[in-house]
Amino acid sequence: MAVILSKKSPSAAEKDLNSIRKGRDLSFFDLVSIDQVTPEDLGLLYDVARRFREYKTYKFSFNKGSSQVNAFFEPSTRTSSSFDLAAKQLSMDTAGVSSNSSVEKGESYLDTVQTIDSYNVKTIVIRSKESGVPAVAARYTQASIINAGDGWHEHPTQALLDGLTMLDHCKSKDMKGRVVVIVGDIMHSRVFGSLVRLLKTLKAEVRISAPLTLIPEDVEKFGVKWYGKVEEALTGADVVYALRVQSERGANGFIPTLREYSKMFGISRKRLDLAKKDAILMHPGPVIRDIDVHSALAAVDEQSYILRQVENGMAVRKALLWLIVDRIDGKKKTFTRK
Amino acid sequence: MSTLLVAGGHVIDPKNGIDGVADVFVRDGKIAAVGKNLKEKADKKIDAKGLTVTPGLIDLHVHFREPGREDKETFETGSRSALAGGITAAVAMPNTSPIADNQTVVEFILKRSRDLGLINIYPTGAITKGQEGAMLSEINELKNSGAVAVTDDGHDVQKEGVLKRAMEYAKTCGILLMSHCETKDLTEDGVMHEGWISTQLGLPGSPALSEDMAVYKNILLAEKTGARLHLMHNSTAGAIRAIREAKKRGAKNVTAEVSVQHFALTDKECMGYNTNAKMYPPLRSQEHIDAIIAGIKDGTVDAFTTDHAPHIEPEKLKAFQDAAFGTVGLETSFAVMYTYLVKPKHISLKQGIEKMTSAPARIIGINKGHLSKGADADIAIFDTAKDWVVDEKKFFSKGKNSAFIGKKLRGKAVYTIVGGEVKYDRGTIIA
Repeated sequence: MAVILSKKSPSAAEKDLNSIRKGRDLSFFDLVSIDQVTPEDLGLLYDVARRFREYKTYKFSFNKGSSQVNAFFEPSTRTSSSFDLAAKQLSMDTAGVSSNSSVEKGESYLDTVQTIDSYNVKTIVIRSKESGVPAVAARYTQASIINAGDGWHEHPTQALLDGLTMLDHCKSKDMKGRVVVIVGDIMHSRVFGSLVRLLKTLKAEVRISAPLTLIPEDVEKFGVKWYGKVEEALTGADVVYALRVQSERGANGFIPTLREYSKMFGISRKRLDLAKKDAILMHPGPVIRDIDVHSALAAVDEQSYILRQVENGMAVRKALLWLIVDRIDGKKKTFTRK
Repeated sequence: MSTLLVAGGHVIDPKNGIDGVADVFVRDGKIAAVGKNLKEKADKKIDAKGLTVTPGLIDLHVHFREPGREDKETFETGSRSALAGGITAAVAMPNTSPIADNQTVVEFILKRSRDLGLINIYPTGAITKGQEGAMLSEINELKNSGAVAVTDDGHDVQKEGVLKRAMEYAKTCGILLMSHCETKDLTEDGVMHEGWISTQLGLPGSPALSEDMAVYKNILLAEKTGARLHLMHNSTAGAIRAIREAKKRGAKNVTAEVSVQHFALTDKECMGYNTNAKMYPPLRSQEHIDAIIAGIKDGTVDAFTTDHAPHIEPEKLKAFQDAAFGTVGLETSFAVMYTYLVKPKHISLKQGIEKMTSAPARIIGINKGHLSKGADADIAIFDTAKDWVVDEKKFFSKGKNSAFIGKKLRGKAVYTIVGGEVKYDRGTIIA
C-alpha cells in the first residue's frame, strides 16, 4: 500500500480560501452545461473566485497530487492557457492533447477520452468542434469532464466568468432589471449558448441583435428578444456583449461582407453611447478589431471590460477546479465504460 | 401436399373486409379457406386463440446493405429481422455498393432472396446512374430484370429538369418512381430537425421546409407528367398538406408512406446527443406528428414503412454531427404502429394493418397483402396484448441502432408464415 505523506500545514492564503468556502461543495461532478449550475453553486463559485482573484498567481497546494489533461480538439488560445495556468496555480500536473491527435487518425472521441481517463487524472478539459462531445464523454469517465466549448452548443466557464464580470459591475447578486444586449453571430456561438442560459437564471432582460441569417430557430424560447436595428437594442443597455462573426465556422455566406456587417452591427463609440452612461462593453475574444468592435473601444476604453473578463476567467476556472477536485464531502461520480 | 390450419385467431384481412374470429386453412403454400370452424384436417395446426392473424406485413422501405456493406446487414440477417417483426415482404432500396443502377445488382438481389427462401424481397433500381442526379439509369432494363420501382433514396434528384425527364421515362416504362424528398440546399449540414431542440443542442438543423418544397416539386411534376409517384418517408406537416391537396385535386397517381418512427417519436429523442435518434428525415416536433396522425386518419397517408437502416456500432458512437443517419425498425414496426396509433385509438387495428399489407402491395403492384382464396399464404400472427421493452441485444438484425431502445411497446409477432411455411415460431427462426 502506498504511503501518503500528510500535507504540510496550510498557508495563510489557503486558510483564507477555506474560510470563504465554508465547507461547501458543488452539486455537480462534471460541468458540461450551464444548466447544471444551481444558484447555490454560483454563489459558491463566485465567493471563491473573487478571493482567488485577489491572490493573483499565488500557488495553492489544494490540488497537489492530482492531474489534469487539457484535450483541445480545436485550436484555442485563451481558454486552454487559462485552464492550464489555473490548474498549475492549484499545484496540479497538466498535459495537453491537441487537435493533431489520435482522433485525426480515426480513433473515436470516446476511445481517446477513455484512454486519457485511464491515467487516473481528476479532470479532463474538453474543447471540440462538434456539439455534445463533452456531454457524452462525461458518462464514460471517472474523471470530471469540463466543457471548454463544444461546437455551437455551450462554453459554460465563459458564461461563469461573464456572469462574475457583470455582477461585479452591477454590484448585485443578480441582473434583475438590467438589460444585456448580445450582438453578433448568435447562431454559431457556444458563448451565447451558455450565456443566455445563465442570464435567465440571473433574471436579466436579454436583447439580441444580428441579421436573421445568424439567428437560430426558436431562439425566443430562451426568453430573448430580437432586434434588427442594433441602435434600438442598445438604447438603455447595462451590458453590451459583442460576439465575433466566426468565419471559421462557415459563418461566411450568412452575411454579404464583413464590411457591411460592421457598418450595420459593429459596436462603435456612437452606438455604445446609446447604452447607459455606465454601461460596459464585453467580448469573449478573439476580437476582430473594427469588425465586431471599433478598435478604439477594444482594449483601452474605460467602458471596455474585455481584459477584465480574461482576468475573471483565471479566477473562475481556479475556483471551479479547486471545488471539483478537492471535494469535502468525498462523493464520487458514477460512470460506465463503453 | 402440405396443409396448415391457423385456428381460432382474430383474423384481420382489410382487403376482404374480414375482422373477426376465424380459421385460416393453407394448402400447398396458398390460402385455401378462411372461415369459422373449418373442418379441414391439417398436417400442422397453430392455435391462434387470443392472437391476431393478418396477411404478412409488407415493408416498402428497407436497407438490407447487401451488396457492399455486409458488416451492417445482409439479406439473411435482414430477412430474419423482418420475420421476427411479422414482415413477409420487403422492398430493398438501391443505395448499395455497387448501386443498383443496372440489372446486374437487381438480378443478384433476386437470386440471393430466392436462395435464402426466407421472405419475399423486391428490388428497386436507381433513378439516376450512381444516384448522382444527373444521367438516367437504364430504367427499362431495371424493370425487365425485376425492379418494382426506381428511386434515388438517400440522395433525391435535386435538379427539376432531370426529375421531370425521369418521371416521363418511368411512365414510358410503366414503372413506379419513389421519391426521397429533400431540398439539399436547405438541408445543408443539418443533422436533426431544425427547431427549439436543435438550438438548445447547438446542432445544425434540417428545416421542415426542405422536405415540404421537395414534396411540392415532386407532386407538381407528377401531375404534369402523369408518372406513378410514391412519396417516401414523409415527416412534415407541409408534406402532408401538399399530399392531401394533391389527392383532393384528383392526383390518383400519387401515393405516400410514413415511416412509423415519424408518428411515434419527436426530436426530443435527440436530447443527450442520442445518435440512435439521428436519421433522415429527422424526428420532428410534436406539431408535425399531430399533422401526420391527421393525415393517417383522413387517408392522406397510404402506407407505413420502417426505413430500416442498420449501422455498425462505431458509426453511432461518433459525435452526433458525424454519426450515421438511420434507425433499424423491422422488429418494432408493428409494435410501434400498435402502441402509438391503435392503443391511443387514433385508428383501428384493421386500418393500421391495411397500411402495412394491402396498401403497400397495391402501391408496388404485387398480388399480396391479403388472405383471398388462392393467394400466397404469407401470414403474420401477433399477440396484441404483449407488452415488451425494446432491447437491442435481442435483435436478429445486425444493426442495434434503434431509436426505440428502452421504450415499452405493445404487440409482438408470435408466428410468421411465408408461402405456407412457418418461418418464425415464438422467438425462433426456422430456416
